[in-house]
Amino acid sequence: MSVRVDFTPMVDMNMLLITFFMLCTTMIKSQTLQISLPSNDKVDKTEQNKVKESEAITVILDSDVDGKGKPTMNYVYYYTGMPDLAADGAGNLTNNKMKEVKFDAGEASQNFPMKVRAILQQRNDQVLQKINKLKADYRAKKLTDEQYQAQAKVVRNDDNLKRPVVIIKATPRASFMSLVSALDEMQINSISRYQVDNMNMSDSAMIKSYWQKRLATHK
Amino acid sequence: MGKVKIKRKSTLIDMTAMSDVTVLLLTFFMLTSTFLQKEPVKVVTPSSVSEIKVPVQKLVTVLVDPQGRVFMSFAGDKDTTSTSGGMSTEEVRKQIFESVVAEYNRVHPSAKVNFTDKEEQTFCKTAMFGMPMNQLKKWLDLKDSKRDETIDPTKKQGAAMGFTQGIPIDKSKDVEMAPNEFQIWIRAAYNCSSLKDVMVSGEGIAIKADADTPYSVVQIVMDNLQTLKMNKFTLMTALKKEKGQ
Repeated sequence: MSVRVDFTPMVDMNMLLITFFMLCTTMIKSQTLQISLPSNDKVDKTEQNKVKESEAITVILDSDVDGKGKPTMNYVYYYTGMPDLAADGAGNLTNNKMKEVKFDAGEASQNFPMKVRAILQQRNDQVLQKINKLKADYRAKKLTDEQYQAQAKVVRNDDNLKRPVVIIKATPRASFMSLVSALDEMQINSISRYQVDNMNMSDSAMIKSYWQKRLATHK
Repeated sequence: MGKVKIKRKSTLIDMTAMSDVTVLLLTFFMLTSTFLQKEPVKVVTPSSVSEIKVPVQKLVTVLVDPQGRVFMSFAGDKDTTSTSGGMSTEEVRKQIFESVVAEYNRVHPSAKVNFTDKEEQTFCKTAMFGMPMNQLKKWLDLKDSKRDETIDPTKKQGAAMGFTQGIPIDKSKDVEMAPNEFQIWIRAAYNCSSLKDVMVSGEGIAIKADADTPYSVVQIVMDNLQTLKMNKFTLMTALKKEKGQ
């Protein structure tokens, strides 16, 4: 007596179930970007760690928005050290240190010869050189993953190297994407000291003055 | 003249092998799958090169839509065997919910809310929510299918009932006496025994916002976390491939 069972309906059912699971699952998982904000607590003047002027870079993010508040165009500005607020009689800044730059996306143009990444790389050169050496060792299998991570961390936080302090500021209109791109640049360029801060009066004044000048020269 | 007899072949194929393969595939998908979470608004997260994966367990997700509405969801431990002492998602939600109700009633003595056991159970099964406390009861009383419909801000139905406004959030700095509802929720999650360690290390709280969200909207959320002294948290992003290193 044959005991063969027809498996066709079984296969049908299994296929249906597979289809269901394939449609309902997410294979790609989101990534996370860790950030830590400065504490809100008031810090004593004496305990404050002042950033050296020569090390500070301020990156300001801004966007154009359409009627619904959706960003249409993202801008990035930067200046190094302290803002220079010397103004002429009409209130225009005479020595505006702020320059406009672009994130890496898109071609370098005449207006923006430097990208944010290039600027940061230049500033963080000493750290990056060491990191690249470590990376080469890692690729050549001389270091394990953990060794590489540990040594890279030491290099990133090495006080003997010249490292920049990046202050990221964003206007209320700036898109969230710009902020993430800026934080991303910190990771790419192995910058360990950066913080997200609020805009202040001099930042707004510099942006305003920058645009006045730019619009005047384009006329 | 004899007719050539064509032998009839059976068209039956042995499906046993096929069945084996499909069962294997099915097992694979069942074991690896994490289900898509229902979210009231669709957001496209910006991309970054970060390779840290979003944790699947012990996570508070704060979803921010471009209009500034805030939605939240809580996830508990995956391993809930008695030896690990982990709390399941439902237990975590229950604990948070109870402490939020108590705290809300302390802050708003004139407009107290109370929930039945059934409403509490419904809350524990809900993935994501985003409405003021005084609307929550009415929303939890709705049928399952209705609840998903009415929280969607793109549909008129929910807006008319006031279910799509998100969790109230403002720039309140007075966490003790006059916290806003977002602060109450986050603080309850922070105090939840199971979530505490990840909340302190900053891995347990993820802000998920659309790439087009203006910074002012995200800043309010970050500002509130800062007020609560939770300076460490994560931003959810999608993976971006770095072009030529």
